[in-house]
Amino acid sequence: MHQVEIATTQQTVLDSPVMTLNMGPQHPSTHGVLRVILKLDGETVIDLDCDIGYLHRGMEKIAENRTYTMIAPYWDRLDYIAAVSNGLVWVETVEQMMGLDVPRRAHYIRTILTELNRIASHLLWLGTHALDIGAVTILLWAFREREEILKIFERQFGARLTCHAWRVGGMPNDSYDDFEQDVRRFIGNIAGRLDEYETVLSENRIWLSRTVGVGVISGADAIAIGLSGPALRGSGVAWDIRKARPYAAYADVDFDVPLGDNGDTYDRYLVRMEEMRQSRRIIQQAIDNLPDGPVNAKVPKLIKPPIGDYYHSIEGPKGEIGCYLVSDGTQQPWRMRVRPPCFMNLQALKKLCIGHLVADVVAIIGTLDIVLGEIDR
Amino acid sequence: MALLAPLNLIDSLLLKFFSEQTVNYVIWPFIQIGAVVTITALWVAYATYLERKISAFIQARLGPMRVGPWGLLQPIADGLKLLVKEDFIPENADRWVFFVAPYIAVVAAFIVMAVVPFGPDWAVITDVNIGVLFVLAVSSVGVLALILAGWSSNSKYALLGALRSSAQMVSYEVSMGLAIIGALMFARTLSLSGIVASQQSDSIWFFVYQPIGFIIFLISGIAENNRAPFDLAEAESELVAGFHTEYSGFRWSLFFMAEYAAMVVVTAVATTLYLGGWYFPFVYRFTEAKGFHNAYVVVSLIVFLAKAGLLLYLYFWLRWTLPRFRYDQLMDLGWKWLLPASLINIVVTAIAVVVLQGLNESGIHTIDSIAGGLNLTPSGKVIAILFGFGNLLLSAVILSLINWRSRDFNLKKQRRQIRLVDLPKGRAAVKPVSEEPELSKV
Amino acid sequence: MPLVSVPKLTFAQKLKRFFMIDLLKGLGVTLKFNVGALTDKDAVAGKGIYTEQYPKVRPDVAPRFHGAPRLNMDPETHETLCIACNLCALACPEDCIDVIPMDVEVVVAGKPRRKKVLDEFIFDTSRCMFCALCQEACPTYCLELTQDFELATYSRAGFVWNREMLEQGRETVKYEA
Repeated sequence: MHQVEIATTQQTVLDSPVMTLNMGPQHPSTHGVLRVILKLDGETVIDLDCDIGYLHRGMEKIAENRTYTMIAPYWDRLDYIAAVSNGLVWVETVEQMMGLDVPRRAHYIRTILTELNRIASHLLWLGTHALDIGAVTILLWAFREREEILKIFERQFGARLTCHAWRVGGMPNDSYDDFEQDVRRFIGNIAGRLDEYETVLSENRIWLSRTVGVGVISGADAIAIGLSGPALRGSGVAWDIRKARPYAAYADVDFDVPLGDNGDTYDRYLVRMEEMRQSRRIIQQAIDNLPDGPVNAKVPKLIKPPIGDYYHSIEGPKGEIGCYLVSDGTQQPWRMRVRPPCFMNLQALKKLCIGHLVADVVAIIGTLDIVLGEIDR
Repeated sequence: MALLAPLNLIDSLLLKFFSEQTVNYVIWPFIQIGAVVTITALWVAYATYLERKISAFIQARLGPMRVGPWGLLQPIADGLKLLVKEDFIPENADRWVFFVAPYIAVVAAFIVMAVVPFGPDWAVITDVNIGVLFVLAVSSVGVLALILAGWSSNSKYALLGALRSSAQMVSYEVSMGLAIIGALMFARTLSLSGIVASQQSDSIWFFVYQPIGFIIFLISGIAENNRAPFDLAEAESELVAGFHTEYSGFRWSLFFMAEYAAMVVVTAVATTLYLGGWYFPFVYRFTEAKGFHNAYVVVSLIVFLAKAGLLLYLYFWLRWTLPRFRYDQLMDLGWKWLLPASLINIVVTAIAVVVLQGLNESGIHTIDSIAGGLNLTPSGKVIAILFGFGNLLLSAVILSLINWRSRDFNLKKQRRQIRLVDLPKGRAAVKPVSEEPELSKV
Repeated sequence: MPLVSVPKLTFAQKLKRFFMIDLLKGLGVTLKFNVGALTDKDAVAGKGIYTEQYPKVRPDVAPRFHGAPRLNMDPETHETLCIACNLCALACPEDCIDVIPMDVEVVVAGKPRRKKVLDEFIFDTSRCMFCALCQEACPTYCLELTQDFELATYSRAGFVWNREMLEQGRETVKYEA
């Protein structure tokens, strides 16, 4: 082992004036309406500021004027790439507050579909990340796989993106007839296709030189900033809520947590690719052991959680997505607070970007896997 | 050959009205120029169609399907659409420079076609005896258009794109020019037709003598054209559209045409220099030798277009597979890899030629003649090919020595295995589901 | 400047790197796809073409799909199933449903009675988020979100559907395949 210097910054020779570059809100690779104000010296980023809020809809305030049943579809519109996971946070929080006994079958189906959603979200991340770095073809391939997941969602929930997947106490419908067959076919296909993507990217020297050593963050810094999900695990911090505080049927399945060592863009890429394989493993176990029985708990007509507050969080595709709920005993929550993974992850952008080039900024935005619907809420 | 009979007919018709000199030196060249420009423009338009189709097939899509059968009329529809679009000029733009830049780009790209030998005899507009220098000189003018466009747009993205592209094109032109020299040593002429003729008389494609030169020329050509993976100047995910961010309508389409025309030029020159141009084995024997002159020209034309088309496919193929380089890595590749490699290539080729001549003088018959290029005997060919491929290994060693400490070179082993950890399970947040809950009514 | 630990390369790896094996592997995959698209008709195997030629070929919409709303009618009597109970309007998170009832005189068992029936039903599809809570709230299976997904119109007013549109459905342009 010898140490190789990863040269990304260079001392300025010329005393050139600083150029301010507005990246976004209309820019191909800011993943929505993020506005990044870059201070550039040549092409080197010396300072950076994020301007968010272009997609602010006041979700948390809206929730104070809706009944518990009505709030569920709004959760889909936070992180619209992972609507199924988001919906799960909400219904599980309310179920916990009310002390509902959700049947095993519902838990298993929830596990299968949230894991499918994780794969769909990671596929979209892979496609857009590769697109930002210039490998356009991966995007279309990833969308092809994601399409199969969305077809399963459409058949199960009746919608493809914002599914309104769960209801408090269970599910709106039991699984459709060919559900198991569709899921099995999908997980049968996905492994080989992930290998294909890895053939194109993982060893590719251009991909390596664009990602290795770019956007390095240490585990301690990642914890201090509040990163979660693959961005945290890429830095080598072993933390996964599916393991630490199992929800749904995760207590019953075996899976491994991939951890990176260097905390750079390439490690986060590898971690997410491996997470897709682990998701496949989880789905395989859950579909093999899928129990029979009802999918709905006995739910009172009016959902009125007892007075009090509750925090529940799950491991969404982007990181820890949580819901803090304060109930005053009426039909509407007194306060709902979202613990947003993308918002927290975005805070690392400045630390990751300074000293890199403009081209790396888009790579780093891609590797953080942000969705503006959730950041702006 | 009924198809080509009208040519002679027109010739005799023209001779009735004009003197022979006028016909030969004014009228026929104009007809040739018209034909070449039309064919090139069509080739450029259908290159966009081909690119869209090939990218679609690579990406498991269909591509354009709606305009005409299999979308064949799509380029024409696109052209019409771009013609009628608004010609938008941004506020505070340098109007005249903004106007002129696209024309410079497209003229610089098209004018090179004047010296490209598409085939023997009448299939070449003019045979300049410094053809290669002309190609290098004129295609360098293209960079001027990008700089002017980027500067005059009054946009930061466009300016960054222009800066990137100027640095890129200037540095890659060096290795491109140097890469050609190896082939020129075998051809002993700067005329493009002469280069093809020397390959024909030697019955070989210079690609086998000059594998390194061919690769360097292709890589530099792709970089020179600002094509992926070197499309930094218009990197759409970073700089929106680079130097032509502010262009729209037909001015934008001129840049687009210039890009594709420049691609056609580089593939045509690469074909001429390394793949034997319009020369293909046995074509001469079955056509010209039996008296079918025009058939010979037409078959040669088709051969040329097929070879150039193959290289064009390589362009598309690379673009839709590889990620984009970063600016500094691009410079690394240009100055630390391609430039030393082309210099090594020149030295080794020179040694090869000297060795061949020395062997010839010392009695081993290696050189047939040097009148129309360096014509080698079979034993001479074997020696030259050995030098060419030995050069690959030599370059590998020398380039590794130059770059052994560089970041780029050491990244390959970065393919690490990530750790897979089976964490212990914590207390369940949701009631453990392993207990059978009481069944309830749905 | 970040430092990254790198193991040393072996000679074979150096050679592989010089001859660009990593890039060639990737190019092989894309070539496989290109050849597959031209030869392979079976898209499911992963090499064929996935494109749906949408306006010409209608996509297969799942039976549970939440699309355009519809007010179902009794198949025999062709009277509306809606009992103007207003539950759908109450269930809607976006307040996009307006149920306007009217009282009619009916004779039940010889006695005149006043009965609440549906007069007008306004459904604002521009605000609807197709969560299907109204469909779940409907006690008579009258309001239903159907498989029709083409909801675009030329004006904002066109998004507001009245009872007639909800009962009859909308005409959409069908393209020939």
